[in-house]
Amino acid sequence: MLRTEGLGYWYQNKDQPLFQQVNLEFEVGQSYAILGHSGSGKTTFLSLIAGLDKPREGAIFLNDRPLTEIGLTHYRRHEVSIVFQAYNLFTYMSPLNNLLTAMAITGASHAGDQDYARQILRDLGIADELMTRNVQHLSGGQQQRVAIARTMCCDAKLVVADEPTGNLDEDNTQAVIAQFQRIAHDQQKCVILVTHEPDVAAQCDQQYRLENKQFVRLAERA
Amino acid sequence: MNFFKRAWLNVWAKKGRSVLLILVSSAILMFVLAGLLIRSAAVKATETAKTNAGATVTLSANRQAAFKKMQSQSSSSTKASRPKLTLTPVKLSDAKNIAKLSNIKSYNVTSSTTVNAKSYDTVSTSTGMGAGGGPGGMKGSSQSSGDTQIDGVTATALTTAFTDNQSKVTKGRGITASDEGTNNVVIEKELASQNNITVGDTLTFKQTTGSKKTIKAKIVGIYKASSSSTSTGPMSVDPANTIYASYTLANTLKGSKYAGTADSVTFNVKNPAKVSATKRAGKQLISSKYSLSTDDAAYQSVKSSMNNVESFANKIVWLVAIAGTIILALIVILMIRERRFEIGVLLSLGEARWKIVAQFFTEMLMVIVIALAVAGVGGKFVGNQLGSQLVAQSTTTQTTSRSSNQPGGGQPGGSNGGNQHGAGGPDSTATTAAATKKANLEISMSAVDLAELGGFGLAITFLSIMIASGGILRLEPKKVLIS
Ligand SMILES: Nc1ncnc2c1ncn2[C@@H]1O[C@H](COP(=O)(O)OP(=O)(O)O)[C@@H](O)[C@H]1O
Ligand SMILES: [Mg+2]
Repeated sequence: MLRTEGLGYWYQNKDQPLFQQVNLEFEVGQSYAILGHSGSGKTTFLSLIAGLDKPREGAIFLNDRPLTEIGLTHYRRHEVSIVFQAYNLFTYMSPLNNLLTAMAITGASHAGDQDYARQILRDLGIADELMTRNVQHLSGGQQQRVAIARTMCCDAKLVVADEPTGNLDEDNTQAVIAQFQRIAHDQQKCVILVTHEPDVAAQCDQQYRLENKQFVRLAERA
Repeated sequence: MNFFKRAWLNVWAKKGRSVLLILVSSAILMFVLAGLLIRSAAVKATETAKTNAGATVTLSANRQAAFKKMQSQSSSSTKASRPKLTLTPVKLSDAKNIAKLSNIKSYNVTSSTTVNAKSYDTVSTSTGMGAGGGPGGMKGSSQSSGDTQIDGVTATALTTAFTDNQSKVTKGRGITASDEGTNNVVIEKELASQNNITVGDTLTFKQTTGSKKTIKAKIVGIYKASSSSTSTGPMSVDPANTIYASYTLANTLKGSKYAGTADSVTFNVKNPAKVSATKRAGKQLISSKYSLSTDDAAYQSVKSSMNNVESFANKIVWLVAIAGTIILALIVILMIRERRFEIGVLLSLGEARWKIVAQFFTEMLMVIVIALAVAGVGGKFVGNQLGSQLVAQSTTTQTTSRSSNQPGGGQPGGSNGGNQHGAGGPDSTATTAAATKKANLEISMSAVDLAELGGFGLAITFLSIMIASGGILRLEPKKVLIS
């Protein structure tokens, strides 16, 4: 579904790229973890496949169409959905309105469907009385679940997450990982999540480690 | 219209911030409105001044030409005949032609003379002047002088003394055009009470020239001359001895050759701004023996005082609008910096940048609409305060500058025919009083003012968002990932 070809990126110095000649493929129905030390360039890589920045070298293809042809705004709106480490919900809205807003902007097939949004929130363990309160009244774990719900209610087939469990305790981490697995397997989407925690990565279907400017594939989960 | 909903949710959820923004915007708009109100009040006042303060064109004998003629006579003629300054009385037929000019509203014929009291006693001034002390005050007239001044007019309501409220009819009525050809008179209150006569009574006086006939006149009204007009020069008659009559009676008293003439004719113009054009047009209609002079001092004074206020108000409007835009833009820039994560999320969801700008614009618009209402209430108050301060200042300046210009006796009416009320003293105070009276700024809020304020509010909002939106348009969506 998503493919990179000769992907390379550097900030100031071309001679010191973060990664170079990256050729990877990601499929729907699978979850992928990208491991790596802090500062190795995981977030930078994610920003490229999320359509938030352009590669310095190489290209990204969605179903064999280059992103440059699709257009980054269109790509972000319809093809990819992002979960952030700091949740990044709209702080002035309720969980319900966060979902409805995302669906409206992306033109999702369920746009405007309150019952659908409520059902997704309910599935993720957000109680009905919390759905219409301001999101700032929710705990970190609850907010991240709302962020995941936001991803689930949109139609994008590609879900990327940057350290989604970075701010969560153990219980919440497990719940969130389980949810990502359901997105990949039940919703048949492609989940790519970046983490520096091997425990978290180990629960994904496939793992890559970013080291020495290359993505090295780790042994598949048993 | 999703950005509209987001804007509303944001304004509603962040009430504290919204209230603060409303307060700042209200303060800005209130000053804009105050400026707008003062400006439109100044425009209105100038319009009123055009018709009220008015300007006049006066037709009178050409003194300069007459003086030249006298000089040439003295050089050519023999010693036997002494050269005489002859002022040709104004012809009423000329006046009627001038009155047909489009800018002429009305006109007042003035013909003055003196008579000697017969059935009554004149009022003698407390400052030592006897009843017969008058003669010295009359200049340029061929007639010998009596103790009673007869001011012949078309209508008392058209004379400066009455329009400026220096004199007021207190009983009966003033002289009107319908009194032409009659012996109806209006006398001063003091003269009336001293002789115990009133409206409906008759009085008699004697001509000073010709056959010195006794004339019987009927009192139709009593007027009161204001106290300030008693302070005339030492050489004149007590103002209480001035009797108003139709100019035709004055002409009759002067003698038969004065029929159809006048000392001067004062024309009131409709549009004082065009007074000099009217004067030029009028000059075409008369011979060089006559002159036309204009007086638009009252109008000019009001106009310049209002122009000052208006340009000051204009400056307030623009300064406040510009300062307000800058202040709001800075606030919005700070707001946008604080909300860059939210903008990043919107961008990562694929929202168009213009819609994000539109969201901020809508948020500010909601704030501005409430601020407009607040400013509408407060602006009238501020405008009233500021307006009265401004007028007080500018009229004070006007008054001082005008009275220092006055000593020449700028009133054209005062310089001709001889039988006017002495020097220019009372006239000059009268004009200044009129100007001050008319310079009152009436601050009232019209729909136009509010619409204009709304326009300014919209423009300020739009500009400040435009200035600040550079930040939104430049923001890299990637920033949302890297904090
Ligand atoms: N905008 C930037 N300009 C310059 N250097 C940057 C910028 N963003 C990140 N970097 C650097 O690039 C490297 C990779 O950053 P990042 O992709 O965030 O790593 P990771 O997510 O793996 O921790 C880091 O050394 C970081 O300092
Ligand atoms: Mg990172």
